[in-house]
Amino acid sequence: MSAAPPGESANRLRGDLMAYATLSLISIFCAIPFFWLLIASFDGNAQLFLRWPETWTFANYLRVFTKEDGAKWLFNSLFVVGSATVLVMVLSGLGGYALSRTRAWWKLPFLYSILLIRVLPSTALIVPLYKFLLTLNNAESALLRPIFGSATRDIMRWTGFIDGYLGLILVLATMQLPLSLWIMKTFFDGLPRDYEEAALMDGATMIQRIRRVLVPLALPGLAASGLFAFMSAWGDFLLPLILLSSPELQTLPLGLFRAFLRINEIDYGLLTALAFIYLVPAVVAFGFARRFLVQTFSGGVKG
Amino acid sequence: MAKTLQERRAERQLMIVLLPSLLLLLAFVIYPAIYSVYLSFTNEALTGAAARAPRFVGSRNYARLFNDAKFWNALFVTFVFVLGSAIIGQFVLGLVSALALRRRLMFRTLFSSIILLPNAAPEVVAGFMWISMLAGGDHATLSRIVSFFGLPTADWLQVFPLTMIIVVNTWRGIATAMILLTAGLSTIPQEIYEAARMDGATPSQMFRRITVPLMMPTILLYMLISTVSTIAVFGLVYALTRGGPGGATELISIYIYNQSFTAYQLGYGAAVAVIALLVSLVLGVAYVRAAKVEI
Repeated sequence: MSAAPPGESANRLRGDLMAYATLSLISIFCAIPFFWLLIASFDGNAQLFLRWPETWTFANYLRVFTKEDGAKWLFNSLFVVGSATVLVMVLSGLGGYALSRTRAWWKLPFLYSILLIRVLPSTALIVPLYKFLLTLNNAESALLRPIFGSATRDIMRWTGFIDGYLGLILVLATMQLPLSLWIMKTFFDGLPRDYEEAALMDGATMIQRIRRVLVPLALPGLAASGLFAFMSAWGDFLLPLILLSSPELQTLPLGLFRAFLRINEIDYGLLTALAFIYLVPAVVAFGFARRFLVQTFSGGVKG
Repeated sequence: MAKTLQERRAERQLMIVLLPSLLLLLAFVIYPAIYSVYLSFTNEALTGAAARAPRFVGSRNYARLFNDAKFWNALFVTFVFVLGSAIIGQFVLGLVSALALRRRLMFRTLFSSIILLPNAAPEVVAGFMWISMLAGGDHATLSRIVSFFGLPTADWLQVFPLTMIIVVNTWRGIATAMILLTAGLSTIPQEIYEAARMDGATPSQMFRRITVPLMMPTILLYMLISTVSTIAVFGLVYALTRGGPGGATELISIYIYNQSFTAYQLGYGAAVAVIALLVSLVLGVAYVRAAKVEI
């Protein structure tokens, strides 16, 4: 380095300056849309346009929890996405372990299948999926109605496949499974079998092995798997759009979208506050997930 | 003998713990995918007579699709959208960012965090923010920036709809390109550059003769994966334009949605979906082969 001729260090300086300039421009491009959301959510008289507030206030955030349905949407999102994330963590933990340890013939076909499932656009699956869920839903309601009578509707709100929590949770979880199974399979591949074999020698049952040995070892992998499932399910807009119609069940993305369509009565302060609340968990999760991002492009890049 | 019995039992247990995942994937992904092929040969509808008694119509949906100007428009819009945002916009800005961030600069983490931010924003939130950015009238952010440079303003989403959704999707995906290309760049050994510098190569020569050829496999993978994921984009554009004005931003995914849930033509929507599934599958197989994924 110290032997570098003077021309070279001038070159390097010029390169660095160009790098700063490009990165600054790209960063401004990336950051600028966020300003409106952030500033308008603290503006007592928020507009569609970016402007400096005359009065700064927390009132918009308070109204999310007192007025309107914002709190309900937030609860629905947390409940649905939280349940789906937990489900994905359990299923991908178990399934990823099986995929890593098995020597059965179906191992390769299954792994290739989940790689290919990841490329299927969900909009292309949504029509038949909707028809299928509708059939399931009608069957369930036909089954429940003779037993519960008029209470069926309230039960279906929780266990229904269309316009019910259960259907949305199951489908959201399924959509995250391929990536999560892949993450967990790769994770278990990196864990030596010694521990399990020792436990097996000691006569531990499958359940004991999972609980005492595998879960503690797998926690970092499960964290990654859950993080990605959460991020993707949290941001998903298509599934709630198709599967939910009752106002009581609306999740944040759907509630926000529909509120924004009421052109003449948009309460920008409230909506930007709500959108900001919706944004924060996504950004936090993304921050944690950063170091895993490369691996998620299925099996890493081997150039 | 005893051992194989135990092994067989272990294999069975592994199968059992994988079963719930398998069932969910079969029910909510594989079955719908196959079912969509079936639906595409029927006149299934969401309401009306065809909903109660759908008939098998052979390849009529596909024949109709072939003559449907709106379908070809959707294909064209999707093609331009993928080309403009994934292949050009995200790639160029992602590559430039990745190259710049390889230098020992101050605020590197800050820069890369800001570039990652759009990727973290949920689709609907991203859509809102850009509605504010691109709204008509002189107060919208883009109009202000443009008039600061003395250029004419416009109602951006009405006048340049396709260009605008390309800009927005580029904004959202720079991070993905940057991450993948950074990973690719890090596999190029520094010694090659040192040696080239010794031989008096200029930076642009080194970029063309070393970086680009050695990055080719990564670039190819990036192109495949970003094409597939851009074909699937729905919520971001739907929140912004819902396919309008006049179909100018009607991506294939939005066209499927509109045909199925606005026009209630499930059978026809399924035919369009089958085309999208096939294209994605072909690209997916190409990706798996090109990536030499280790299983």
